[in-house]
Amino acid sequence: MIRLAWRNLQRNAARTWLTAGGIGFSVLLVSFAMSLQSGSYEIMIDAATRYFTGHAQISEKSYIDQPRLDRTLQNVQALQTELSAIEGLTVFPRVQAFAVVSMEEKSLGGMVVGVDFDAERQHLDIYDNVIEGDVPRQADQAMIGVSMARNLGAAVGDELVVLGSGKQGAVAAAIFVISGIVETGQTALDRTLVFAPIGGVAEAFYLHDEAHMLLLMVDDLSQLNAIAAQIEPLLSERLTLQTWQQLMPLIEQSIEMDKAGGYLFFSLLLILVTFAVVNTFVMVLYERTREFGLFMALGMRPWQVIGQVQFEALLLSSLGVALGLGLSYPLISYLTSVGIPLDQMGGEEAIQQMQMGAMDRIYPKATLTSLATAPLVMMIGTQLAALVSTVRVRGINPVTALRAE
Amino acid sequence: MTDSEQNSSTTAPVVACQGVQRIYQQDTVPVYALRGADLTINAGEFVSLAGPSGSGKSTLLNVIGGLDGFDAGSVVVGGVDLGGLNAAELAEMRLRNVGFVFQAYNLIPVLTARENVEFILQLQGTPNQERRERADAALQRLGLGDLGDRRPGELSGGQQQRVAIARAIVTEPVLLLADEPTANLDSKTTEELLGLLRDLNPQQGMTIVTATHDPIVMGYTSRQVAMLDGEIHQDSASAD
Repeated sequence: MIRLAWRNLQRNAARTWLTAGGIGFSVLLVSFAMSLQSGSYEIMIDAATRYFTGHAQISEKSYIDQPRLDRTLQNVQALQTELSAIEGLTVFPRVQAFAVVSMEEKSLGGMVVGVDFDAERQHLDIYDNVIEGDVPRQADQAMIGVSMARNLGAAVGDELVVLGSGKQGAVAAAIFVISGIVETGQTALDRTLVFAPIGGVAEAFYLHDEAHMLLLMVDDLSQLNAIAAQIEPLLSERLTLQTWQQLMPLIEQSIEMDKAGGYLFFSLLLILVTFAVVNTFVMVLYERTREFGLFMALGMRPWQVIGQVQFEALLLSSLGVALGLGLSYPLISYLTSVGIPLDQMGGEEAIQQMQMGAMDRIYPKATLTSLATAPLVMMIGTQLAALVSTVRVRGINPVTALRAE
Repeated sequence: MTDSEQNSSTTAPVVACQGVQRIYQQDTVPVYALRGADLTINAGEFVSLAGPSGSGKSTLLNVIGGLDGFDAGSVVVGGVDLGGLNAAELAEMRLRNVGFVFQAYNLIPVLTARENVEFILQLQGTPNQERRERADAALQRLGLGDLGDRRPGELSGGQQQRVAIARAIVTEPVLLLADEPTANLDSKTTEELLGLLRDLNPQQGMTIVTATHDPIVMGYTSRQVAMLDGEIHQDSASAD
């Protein structure tokens, strides 16, 4: 059976190689494109989460809809210590408070964010975009957004007065010296953010061992859900954990949209190739009607004839898939190690992201899905194409078929 | 009493056709290919079905071989009533009981001579080693021992037809049906081939039925049946 199938494929070698080449090309194209997509999504998610938001956040449930100062996490240090015991997880607290930020005669509304600079700098990229000065080193220092600095007419070394409402309703006031100016690339952040050491902000707003959120960073993003499942039982009823999908739904939506577009393109390509394969097997049926008639005259059942052609289809698609994966896998592996420079890929978006320092290269990522989807679809498509084309064998009359030219 | 009549009195006939009708529809017009053919063939006979084109000889051959159906009458081959068999059972009957030799050889072009002969054994589920031995023996018997590795395209017409005969006899069928087996061959090759068929007949006790309009072929057969307009017109067995 294998011998007959293989020799039948060799019977019209040019057509076999053309069809296998078509299958191989589509496998190459789809597997490479899916790997590229997969790699770019990972980079996109990583860049977005590493910038400011983190991979996940824990906060008080009601804080999500109404971020009021008094809706805090209690006993933060103990919770942080408990969570830090989970392997592959880093946790750091933040406090956030709305305040009036003033310098000399000018005042603006702002969001004062108290952070652990030493911890966050190791994990988040926003601090790479300090365009003037440096991140705060002392409790009375602060870093502000570039738009706020411009609007206030402030520069590094100037003093800022922050005035707000403390946890118990008392006046919260603090004075910070500007140590640095940051340009995040996001206007809303640049206009409103004041970063200051968490200790100073917490003290000014009367927060004791409290925080508004715990930022979570995982070593391996693919383990996020597993780690989240470990965290959930440790949280009290009041608290909730949101992963990046909930924190940045637009990112996930854009990925899903992009995936859908990709799948549409891949499907069209695979359908086109499948039609070419149908054509091949329709030709096979016409060319070999006499042979099929002979098979049946000798005692083969129609399903055995169909099985024989199915086997030929399997060999053909295997040949094409081997060809496609034989080219795509080394290519993907190579580009996974060296990356593709984004400036060579072009595009305004790519350049913007480069300016943000988020990424300068894209690394394709070979996954089981990206490597197996096209081969599976093509193999199933080829079998169906062969089946659709040769199912008519059932209606062949051996006597008539043996008279066929 | 002829030999065949003597045989029939002691053993069941290999082929027994009674009142066989085969009607084709040509557009809406019925065309009678067989009009109540009666034919009994006993084991070991070498029978020629002769007649002009359209006489029904190939149709009768196909009906006996289970390749074609019939509309009335009965056909019993090797004790099996073909009228009661479905398509799968007919295929099984052909595979086990009937060997076919066609005018156009009908070898599988991508397989060698040996593989062509082995093919039918493979369909029967014969193990590899036995398959090869039996195929080689059949080819040897037909004088093709050295040509087993050649593909049909590398063989002459006569050699191809001998491979086809080897394929037909390798399973030792009850009945060998040959439809104008020498029509594409020159007279020398025809004589050689008919000699081979005639030798098979007593050697294996194989019953052979061949459709032909060639007098040379008829001369080699032990019984000549003439057909005309879908009926048995003359039968040398009856004439004796």
